[in-house]
Amino acid sequence: MTVLPSRSEARVELLAAQKPAAAMIEIDHVSQVFQTSARQDHLALSDISLTIEDGAFVSILGPSGCGKSTLLYIVGGFVPPTRGAAKMKGRAIRGPGPDRGPVFQEFALFPWKSVLGNVMYGPRQQGVRHAEAEAQSRALIEMVGLKGFEDFYPKELSGGMKQRVALARTLAYHPEVLLMDEPFGALDAHTRTRLQNDLLSIWERDRKTVLFVTHSVEEAVFLSDKVVMMTRSPGRIRQIVDIDLPRPRRRTELLLDPRYQKYVVDIDRMFDDSGENELPP
Amino acid sequence: MMRRAAPFLACFGLLVVWQVASLALKNDSVPTAWEAIRAIPAILGDKDSLVNFGASLRRMATGFGVAVAVSIPLGLLMGRSRAVASFFNPLLMVIYPVPKAALMPIIMLWLGIGDLAKTLVIFLGVSLPVIYHSFEGAKAVEEKMLWSGAAMGLSATQRLVRIVLPAALPEILTGCRTGLVLALITMITSEMIARQSGAGNILFNALDMGQYDTVFAMIIIVGAMGIGLDALFERMRTRLVRWSEPQFDIPLSFS
Repeated sequence: MTVLPSRSEARVELLAAQKPAAAMIEIDHVSQVFQTSARQDHLALSDISLTIEDGAFVSILGPSGCGKSTLLYIVGGFVPPTRGAAKMKGRAIRGPGPDRGPVFQEFALFPWKSVLGNVMYGPRQQGVRHAEAEAQSRALIEMVGLKGFEDFYPKELSGGMKQRVALARTLAYHPEVLLMDEPFGALDAHTRTRLQNDLLSIWERDRKTVLFVTHSVEEAVFLSDKVVMMTRSPGRIRQIVDIDLPRPRRRTELLLDPRYQKYVVDIDRMFDDSGENELPP
Repeated sequence: MMRRAAPFLACFGLLVVWQVASLALKNDSVPTAWEAIRAIPAILGDKDSLVNFGASLRRMATGFGVAVAVSIPLGLLMGRSRAVASFFNPLLMVIYPVPKAALMPIIMLWLGIGDLAKTLVIFLGVSLPVIYHSFEGAKAVEEKMLWSGAAMGLSATQRLVRIVLPAALPEILTGCRTGLVLALITMITSEMIARQSGAGNILFNALDMGQYDTVFAMIIIVGAMGIGLDALFERMRTRLVRWSEPQFDIPLSFS
């Protein structure tokens, strides 16, 4: 009789120990070969294995042309890997699906739809009733700071605003994983900073799993729990750096934090040592 | 004010030049602009010619409508599928340089001189620009836009209808506009070759009988029809693609 409670205690402990370690995305020995225009094989990704835990914010950091976006497209199911496999919650990824929501550098909004129409598109496709989808979408538009712009067309918005719409459009269909492909790469420095802050505060509310591709060291350290450094041509994982900085993070505090500065300098130095910076961008 | 009046001033100027030129030429086969204009009410007041115009417009509408309904899906499929494109491209390249009116005699042998032959020629004339522009429009659709749709759960067919079609619409409508003008041209030429009814029939019968004022009056009427149809189409087009990037502000039509 006395054994029972301790057993269930052990089980609770086991569950607690397992939960944060639950793998959301597993990338298993993935290689990607492209044919160049000269009909030669080009190895873009070489033997990548990576596990992304549920609720983690993971950045893939590397120079342009290291295949980091390709890796994200493979997880998205947009591009099948040449070798190896990607899995989500233990199931092989065979194509795109609403459980993985992409946000692209190019925004990729539907230009014939208004801001509201863009955000409502996903929920409507999932069969959410019009009134409900509209209410949810309006709330999301407000959350990304675009209240009052619901009836604007994408062409009438600035780059930063377009990316806010794109984020809201993706969040609207509740993907379990956000796949962000250099989302702030096309924006000016000021807009970029504001969007990073806003993304972080949105993310800190519900802590979705995020895979975030960037070539900015500061951006990766500021946002992530884990930074995956990649080498160029062929893209390989060079090192994985755990970013042990407290959350919620505030930019002003973080910039003064010597730990943040050390992460940035260390990662920068590692890229320097490998001679990556000598290659043309 | 000046901008709105400009196209009408241009037409008026053309008529003045015509008037002066015909007076200077003193040639029986070149009536003055005024003589031609004076002949218009007689044509438009005549019940027979109205029946002819009706027949012309009906064939034109059928040929244009069927061509658009077939060409848009075909062009879009070609733009999104390499296999479809490489199958149809050579076929279209063979048809492209052939003047559609030159096919008329052969088509008449098969189908007679009735509505079917003429409508088919109009269909051929309209199809190519609409296919071409739909193809180009579909090809230019951003891959990431399609990926975004796929992530929302749109199937391949849904993506074609609900993303490629609207995204390519500005380009498609440019093709349709060219197609509309070509429909008018092929309509008249088909009626010139197979004279039986229609506006082209009136025009070329008058030419045979030396009624030059009627010939030129018909040219004015057909020209006005072209301008009117184009203006109407432009009005519809700008309404449909108001969301797209402004390309140029210079008005290209009377709308």
